[in-house]
Amino acid sequence: MKVTFPHMGNAWIVIQALFEALDVEVVVPPPSGKGTLNLGTKLAPESACLPLKINLGNYIEAAAKGADTIVITGGSGPCRFGFYGESERQILADAGYDFEVVILEPPGGSLWGLARRIRYLAGSRNSWARIVRAVRFAYEKSVVLDQVEDLIHQARPRFSDAAGAEKLYAIARQHLIESASYESLHRVPVRLAQNIRDSQGDANGSGGKEPLRIGIVGEIYTILEPFASLDVEQQLGALGAEVDRSIYLSGWVGQHIFRGLAQGYRPLRVYSRLAKPYLEHMVGGHGLETVGAAVSFARRGFDGILQLLPLGCMPEIVAAGILPRIQADFSIPIMTLTLDEHTGRAGLQTRLEAFVDLLERRKSGRLKRGSVLSVAGK
Amino acid sequence: MRIGFPRAVHYYDYFPFWAGFFRSLNLELVTSPLTNRSIMESGLKKASDETCLPIKILAGHIQALKGVDALFLPRMVSTEEQTYLCPKLLGLPESILAAVPQGLPVLTVNFNRRLGNRRLLAELERFGASLGKKRAEVRQAFGQGGEWQERFERSRLQGLSFTQSMAEFDPVLRSSRRKAEAGPQNQFPARVRGPKPSAGEVPGDRVDGELTDREGSGREVDDREVIGREGSGPDVMSREAAGRTPGCSPEEKKEPPLKIALIGHSYLTQETYANLNLLGRLQSQARVRLVEEVETSRIAQGLQGQRKDLFWSHARKILGAGSFFSRGDEVDGIIYLSCFGCGTDSITQDLLARVARKEHKPYMVLTLDEHSGEAGLVTRLEAFLDMTERRVRRESDISAHG
Ligand code: SF4
Ligand code: SF4
Repeated sequence: MKVTFPHMGNAWIVIQALFEALDVEVVVPPPSGKGTLNLGTKLAPESACLPLKINLGNYIEAAAKGADTIVITGGSGPCRFGFYGESERQILADAGYDFEVVILEPPGGSLWGLARRIRYLAGSRNSWARIVRAVRFAYEKSVVLDQVEDLIHQARPRFSDAAGAEKLYAIARQHLIESASYESLHRVPVRLAQNIRDSQGDANGSGGKEPLRIGIVGEIYTILEPFASLDVEQQLGALGAEVDRSIYLSGWVGQHIFRGLAQGYRPLRVYSRLAKPYLEHMVGGHGLETVGAAVSFARRGFDGILQLLPLGCMPEIVAAGILPRIQADFSIPIMTLTLDEHTGRAGLQTRLEAFVDLLERRKSGRLKRGSVLSVAGK
Repeated sequence: MRIGFPRAVHYYDYFPFWAGFFRSLNLELVTSPLTNRSIMESGLKKASDETCLPIKILAGHIQALKGVDALFLPRMVSTEEQTYLCPKLLGLPESILAAVPQGLPVLTVNFNRRLGNRRLLAELERFGASLGKKRAEVRQAFGQGGEWQERFERSRLQGLSFTQSMAEFDPVLRSSRRKAEAGPQNQFPARVRGPKPSAGEVPGDRVDGELTDREGSGREVDDREVIGREGSGPDVMSREAAGRTPGCSPEEKKEPPLKIALIGHSYLTQETYANLNLLGRLQSQARVRLVEEVETSRIAQGLQGQRKDLFWSHARKILGAGSFFSRGDEVDGIIYLSCFGCGTDSITQDLLARVARKEHKPYMVLTLDEHSGEAGLVTRLEAFLDMTERRVRRESDISAHG
């Protein structure tokens, strides 16, 4: 058995660590790219959502490296993701890829069924105690991963050359991959923060002025997977904006996999209360979280909000119908970016530049009213 | 108090429940008119570009409600214990607010059977209280709603048409049915006014280049015509007898009519305006079966073979009925009517395509959008029916000769 799984940003680091700790042979699919998407688009129904298309491409590329078993989480709706595993299995089978697909969910609500599936993957040589230990460590890794990403979000706009921050990011990721103990794990963000401080001594890109702050909300896959969003975070960073997002990996793991028993780096449960005046019921996916996070960013004085969604994403279309009211109530610009396989980098960049430009003009307008001195002082 | 119920989405599946509920509470529930061009256009203007056609039509119907004191938009979360409705319907009251006329109050209530009957009733009681109704009254209304709904569903299962089944609960349909029956229209096989494909047209010809939009083709569906056509009227003629295939020999005229399953969301299959009267067109050429006519047990039977249950109630029924039709010989072919932007259909139509392919059942997906043209629809429909017919004839030849 050679296990593979779909990519979602840096999640592979955590998943690989988990399987290796259990001595399960794992094939990490090659990083998602144009070729991946093309493979997936050919097999998937045209109206399927973007993540499913990229998932399929990941599996096919992993099959070329010998993978024969797919692990994916499941769900019981109401959004399409809950059916991805079964849908993908049928698509692959009809295309001649003979994968075993293990959906990590309690089938028909049966925890026993879930335990059997985990047992199937982990084999008989792993004790439950060992499985639990491995899961806890992997979870911790996801929390640290989120800290790393957050530090990079802050660092990007403050570097004079965009490549500098990316270099530190790559180093930190490498440290994260290598760390095998809690101690080395917790050193990763500390070292990254130190590295950022060191290089900022001589490179003060933002010229001392506070960068714009943009909150990213929306569908989890497009938020976490830079390939799907055409590196939107990196692009915004290069344009001088600091981003924060509604969802980080560990928050999703805590909610989706541990059913709220763990909260993750950025807990999701606050969002439903914040969303309440605008949306009173969950709508599947992260539609409710999108609305709640938009309120949260607006209240915290962010300069703008960016919603990311794959074309046709049902929960996010609901949220998109509600965001204009938040925009009006808090007087905060909100832009919605719909992504699919035809989205081009050039068009996206133009829109981002225009958005950042708008936010900058607004911000400087406010500054003029509020503190003439500081403007004059420069 | 007059409460408005838009004739869209939930109307097609759950209106009888709400009609019974409000009637029992002595509140007047009125619907918007049948969809027409101005409703469609105002819907397209008011709804978000990215959402699906049925939600856009809903936005139009909200505009079209006249003389009402409030708008009723229930949040239908689930109508069965195990399933959900689509995410867009879960977020309905809030996400459609931009289309609600200024100052029109919106009444909403969560309808969620997943929580069990007790909590559903408690939720309805709270809603009733906000309308000044006592708990006992609401409980009675809940009972009456349930009865009306059951009556409607039973009538559909018995094969009565949607209009026939719904007319009992919807005065608008009742009066249009009466008018239709009084008028001369229903004596003729129904046809929508407008250019007919020329007799010489080869099935399968690409006419994409000359797709006309609704207005261009002069399509103005007269409500009465539409209603009169459906279900009632003389029995279905075979395609040959109806003169659809010119030049066939007399013997062939005795061929029995094709049997076609039209499946998809009821708010598309029954939405005569938006689907360019697809159902009526089909019924004039074939015996048509619909999802709503398939019993639960057969749906369950159809779903056997799927490893994982679909969790949307509509999609489950569509896949179950579609698979059931794929396997048996109750129908000769299956048409899946979908619409642009439907997230649940993207999964369901693909699952069903695989079942149909395995069972060698002719299968076609028709995807509607607001620009769907009549010419394109007719061409695809004709081509599919011809293909299915050839298949049927070939198969009966084979069995007759061998
Ligand atoms: S959240 Fe959106 S993109 Fe993700 S599976 Fe659901 S519908 Fe598709
Ligand atoms: S099921 Fe499809 S058509 Fe119906 S509301 Fe959802 S997305 Fe729209």
